[in-house]
Amino acid sequence: MPRLSLRWGNCRRSSRSTRRGASRWAPALLLMHLAAAAEAGQVLVLYPNSRLLISNVALDSGLRQTIHANSREPVRVFSEFLDEPEFGGDQYELTMATYLRDKYADRPLDAVLIVGDTALRFILRYRDRLFPGVPVVHAGVTREMLQSMPTLAPDVVGVPVTYDFAGTVKQALKWHPRATHLVIVFGASRQDDWESLVRPEIDAILGHVRAEYLVGLTMPALQKRLRELGSDSVVLTWPMFRDGDGRSYMLTESAALVAAASSAPVYAPVDTLMGTGVVGGRVLSYEQIGRQAGQILTRLLSRQPDWQRMPQAPASVLQVDWRQIKRWEIDPEQIPSDAIVSFRPPALWQAYRNAVLGAVTIIVLLSTLIALLLLERLRRRTAEIAMQKQHTALAHASRLAVAGELTAAIAHEINQPLGAVQTNADTAEVILQAGGDRREDLLRLVGRIRNDNLRASQVIKRLRALLARQEARRQPLDLNAVLTDVEAFLRPELQRRDISIALKPVKTPARILGDETQIQQVLINLILNAMDALVEAPLDRRSILVQIDCAAGTHSVSVKDQGRGFADGDLSKLFDSFFSTKRTGMGLGLSIARTIVVAHGGTIRAERGPSGGAIFHVELPAHEASENAA
Amino acid sequence: MSTHTRPLIHIVDDDDSMRMALIELLKTTGFDAIGYGSTGEFLLNSLPDRHGCILLDIQLPGPSGLELQAALLRKDVALPIIFLTGHADVSSSVRAMKAGAIDFLEKPVARETLLEALERALASDIARRNTVEAARRRQERLDLLTPREQAVFERVISGMLNKQIAMDLGISLRTVKAHRAQMMQKLGASTPAELGLIAGKSVESDEG
Repeated sequence: MPRLSLRWGNCRRSSRSTRRGASRWAPALLLMHLAAAAEAGQVLVLYPNSRLLISNVALDSGLRQTIHANSREPVRVFSEFLDEPEFGGDQYELTMATYLRDKYADRPLDAVLIVGDTALRFILRYRDRLFPGVPVVHAGVTREMLQSMPTLAPDVVGVPVTYDFAGTVKQALKWHPRATHLVIVFGASRQDDWESLVRPEIDAILGHVRAEYLVGLTMPALQKRLRELGSDSVVLTWPMFRDGDGRSYMLTESAALVAAASSAPVYAPVDTLMGTGVVGGRVLSYEQIGRQAGQILTRLLSRQPDWQRMPQAPASVLQVDWRQIKRWEIDPEQIPSDAIVSFRPPALWQAYRNAVLGAVTIIVLLSTLIALLLLERLRRRTAEIAMQKQHTALAHASRLAVAGELTAAIAHEINQPLGAVQTNADTAEVILQAGGDRREDLLRLVGRIRNDNLRASQVIKRLRALLARQEARRQPLDLNAVLTDVEAFLRPELQRRDISIALKPVKTPARILGDETQIQQVLINLILNAMDALVEAPLDRRSILVQIDCAAGTHSVSVKDQGRGFADGDLSKLFDSFFSTKRTGMGLGLSIARTIVVAHGGTIRAERGPSGGAIFHVELPAHEASENAA
Repeated sequence: MSTHTRPLIHIVDDDDSMRMALIELLKTTGFDAIGYGSTGEFLLNSLPDRHGCILLDIQLPGPSGLELQAALLRKDVALPIIFLTGHADVSSSVRAMKAGAIDFLEKPVARETLLEALERALASDIARRNTVEAARRRQERLDLLTPREQAVFERVISGMLNKQIAMDLGISLRTVKAHRAQMMQKLGASTPAELGLIAGKSVESDEG
């Protein structure tokens, strides 16, 4: 395969020789031939327009498939885009040429494939300076373009294409059977001179249809005429370079203006006009063009002697704009199945079958997962509620146990007023039996009876409040008041056990937010524990100190006794359920106290007193709102 | 016996309303009554020597009713005690009755029950007081005897015969008889059995 390492501008050593490493000292020519046998070929494809055009993508696809299917060695295909019509002109071409030269200086090319007229013109102009001696294959260049140029060098080959004007007109007339009028629009410049070329071709198929050629009109005149067209007309157009006023247009610009003005459907046999408002036409399949170019390149790269033998020109394919099909009410059934339909909102299933399947699968999986999670959450919630109920039940059971422990004291508390009531009633009876006017004595007695009755019922009320199995209810509480109530409740038991209690409340209200019964229960549990610890204590140690302290954001209650205390090892287990140092203890009191305190956002801890005994500290968050209000 | 006609009931109960109710009832039913809130308060008051009894609660702040009972026994305060308790357990009732309590009542107590118990206690108090009074009078008479008459008295009530007394004391039988007659006259007794009564014990009588 002929490859020349001569370079335009600064002559560099081929990067390929460096890539070959150890063989860099061998004679250059030999190396190149060896390389040609062993190394991948490198091809640059130069497109005239934008990277994103469907035609380019299609051509590239056909090209690569063919090359990769037919080459033994891997072939590198580089792509460049001249980006016409957005960019153009001498200066631009020079810039592009410089860019390509610099970019491919270290990538010796085996061939250059140019696509379309513009790219061919460009390469012919700069070939000697850019890629001297590198064979050029062209694709998608019109036969008309080639005919208008000087004869190409023998190493510039390709299959010229022919635009299918006649086929396009035939298709248009098929879709618009009532059309009797064909309007053909061309521009005014030399490049626009297509009339003589297409007239014989079209005349041959017209039949009863009358042809009207609008060639070289000014754009306003053209548009005016197009607006007047009736439903019996069909328009055929071609990219216009210049109009009758000498105004130049970019490739798709004129077609857009024509289609916008026309009150009849506009057709064009060139795919670059797709999307400008034309219905479509028989265009060349760029994928097919790409495949042909690929075949030529494959032969060229493998140095087949007949590489310059060209295949047949590709046949045109029908391409339509779905939106225009709708606009002109063309029956979709009449679109041949091999037509390329653009701008059709793809049916979801057709376009994204796998994506849809995947999405559906994912949705199903996610839904299942979500359902499972919801179920799990429900279960957890149920479990939580059950646990909460259990906690409530347990706390209740513990309160019952406390009540049981206090039975003697409670009985005493109720019995005292009942005894007094009985005695006062007896006295009243005696007085009444004796006769005489002792109204005042009787009134006094009745008053006392009422007071004692009230006293008894209050004891029962307190007891009932403690034993009631109620839902927790948060309300602002003053720890001082709670402590006073608890002390009143426990006083008989304390007396019964010969234990004194000292309360050290704080002057200001120690406000917290909590459930009164639960907080009472915590204090009762702690004080009862202290009492239990004092069972065998000597008289001078039989006292309990309950102190309330206020710090920033926290109120604390500490219960201190001088009883038997607890062992170091028990400290960590104190708050565990069913752990008790008492012989008859259930081991629930402290566990429940902790559950309650934690539920109130507080902490509970124990320590050993400095002179024996135990100190329990309960810390609860202060109720800020009322503190601010206070 | 005191000059007061109404018995005095001491009520020891820490419950104010109970204590006041009891005082009221007792005063209405013909007693005098004094209330104490604790054992300490009771002990601090000097007890008038009056016919009466103690109504004592067992559960009291500080020393309990049972402890007060024990203390009173030690101090020879012999007022009869009725225990009145909110809740009677067997062990403390047994302890109380063993220590000489008249009764052990449970609150609330019916008036009849209380008054019956009071009657018993007051009767017991009267009996005790009578016994004490008799002993005191006996002692008064014994105090009239000369040492020699005293010696003869002791020997007579221990059942010795005149001859034995004479030998024992180293005096003549006639002297013994003279002392004995003198002693019998002073004590107001005509037979040895009466002497035994005065001495608080029965005497075997063998001669006139």
